[in-house]
Amino acid sequence: MAVIEVERLHKRYGGDVAVHEVSFEVERGEIFGVLGPNGAGKTTTVECLSGLRRRDGGRVSVLGLDPEAQRDALRQVLGVQLQHSALPDRLRVREALELYASFYRQPADVGELLARLGLKEKAGTAYKKLSGGQQQRLAIALAMVGSPRVVVLDELTTGLDPHARRATWEMVEQIRDAGVTVLLVTHFMEEAERLCDRVALIDAGRVVAVDTPAGLAARAGREQRMRFRPSAPLEDAALLALPEVTRVQRHGPQVEVVGTGNLVHAVTALLARRQIIAGDLRVEQTSLDDAFVSLTTHTTSGATS
Amino acid sequence: MTTALPTTASEGPRAALGMTRKGFGKLTATQARLLLREPAALVWLLVPVVLVVVLGSIPGFRTPQASLGGQRVIDVYVPTCAAMVPLFLSLTALPMTLAAYREKDVLRRLSVSPVPAAGVLGALVAVVAAVATAGVALVTAIGALVFDVSAPAHPIAVVAGFVLGGAAVLALGLVVAARARTGAVASGLGVPLMVLNFFASGLYVPVAELPHTLQQICAVIPFGAVTAVWSGQGVLWQHLLVLVGWTVAGSLAAVRWFRWE
Repeated sequence: MAVIEVERLHKRYGGDVAVHEVSFEVERGEIFGVLGPNGAGKTTTVECLSGLRRRDGGRVSVLGLDPEAQRDALRQVLGVQLQHSALPDRLRVREALELYASFYRQPADVGELLARLGLKEKAGTAYKKLSGGQQQRLAIALAMVGSPRVVVLDELTTGLDPHARRATWEMVEQIRDAGVTVLLVTHFMEEAERLCDRVALIDAGRVVAVDTPAGLAARAGREQRMRFRPSAPLEDAALLALPEVTRVQRHGPQVEVVGTGNLVHAVTALLARRQIIAGDLRVEQTSLDDAFVSLTTHTTSGATS
Repeated sequence: MTTALPTTASEGPRAALGMTRKGFGKLTATQARLLLREPAALVWLLVPVVLVVVLGSIPGFRTPQASLGGQRVIDVYVPTCAAMVPLFLSLTALPMTLAAYREKDVLRRLSVSPVPAAGVLGALVAVVAAVATAGVALVTAIGALVFDVSAPAHPIAVVAGFVLGGAAVLALGLVVAARARTGAVASGLGVPLMVLNFFASGLYVPVAELPHTLQQICAVIPFGAVTAVWSGQGVLWQHLLVLVGWTVAGSLAAVRWFRWE
């Protein structure tokens, strides 16, 4: 059953159309990604479904509630972490959580949230004195403090170092494991690939594709890439003679082979015949990154033509 | 705390719609705590207190003046100094606090929680009203106990005037707070309103020494009306009506125009 339904959402700011026509459905218990380049209309879309902005057209339903008409009811069951938001400088971590907990009819346990998000030692620290990662964890905690059934997380890991980013991803998975539906807005492919069950790819205010991350990657590209250090000399021509290979590049002792189809099998078979060992072998499947570039540039050129 | 001003009481039930009653109490307590952590915001409150002490210490100001209808200068200045407290808090401290919250996206964070706009405004109003009540009481007490300023002829009317006057300027402060995008805009709008009220309350020139037309204009400015009630000038119910009018119009405008970012 869909917990979020967005149907032909349209939003203008004055003469500028931020969201042309966006439709997608989010199923209960999944992590659903809204992915797209900066300025694609991602944040506007989630602001409309969080009841922060009035839509100019279309239908939106979150847990069966209209974000505009039933704003108050929605606030109690929807947790939101916003891209640009802050707390008063001198408010302390525990105070912030206790304050926000008091707004909800069924608040989560503040002590437990502090422990779960690794903020226990920082409970008495002022907001201003927290690191970026800690502020972000507090933002997640605040989104979770009302025991929501759906959470919206907007650009969760922007500005975080890789370590903090990974720790934050684990938290998102924990949220999902607790049975909460997650709508994740991001422009990081790696993040979507790692976390999302399904992804809506948005570009220039329209949905380009809705699929699993793997499905999107498959849709976009046939290209695969291998890189290795051959134990004996290997001429480019031998590789290029394989029908699967489209391109060969040298990086010092490393050979990079780009191709399609069953590239890995064809190349390893060649190496085996020649009794060459592939050292430091790395295989790159088409990533969501490639899909993103190919699918979004495709629509951009389509829109201008 | 909420009994100090009618606006607060009337916003109570509305605030409870989207948030829990406990939430409103907690938000109010948090605002108070944050204010105490930033005492710089309250330094200006020392001005009226110091002013009363200084003016009262000048011997010439403790002798009756014919131009003031036989009153002493200190008698005239105690209500004026008392008026500075709610004026400063409502028209500068309150709008600037709220504008700073908006500027730093604190309000954006609150706007996705169950707190309605009236709840945020109501919590700030409750804190400001409590501080203002304490400040007015302190200034009045210094006047009465140290400089022997006699109680006004109609103490109940004066209390009513101060409560309604406080409500009126709080409402105006909320209109400024609801609209101002930045702290600079908030002070740009709030400070002139504050100075206008200072003038009407006789801070610069005692109202009794002003030309008749100016006196009449002052009487429709919130703290002009409050000062008139204290000194027993004009018709009491008219002054109170002026104050109620400002309060109602201001509160409606503030809640209608409030924006989160």
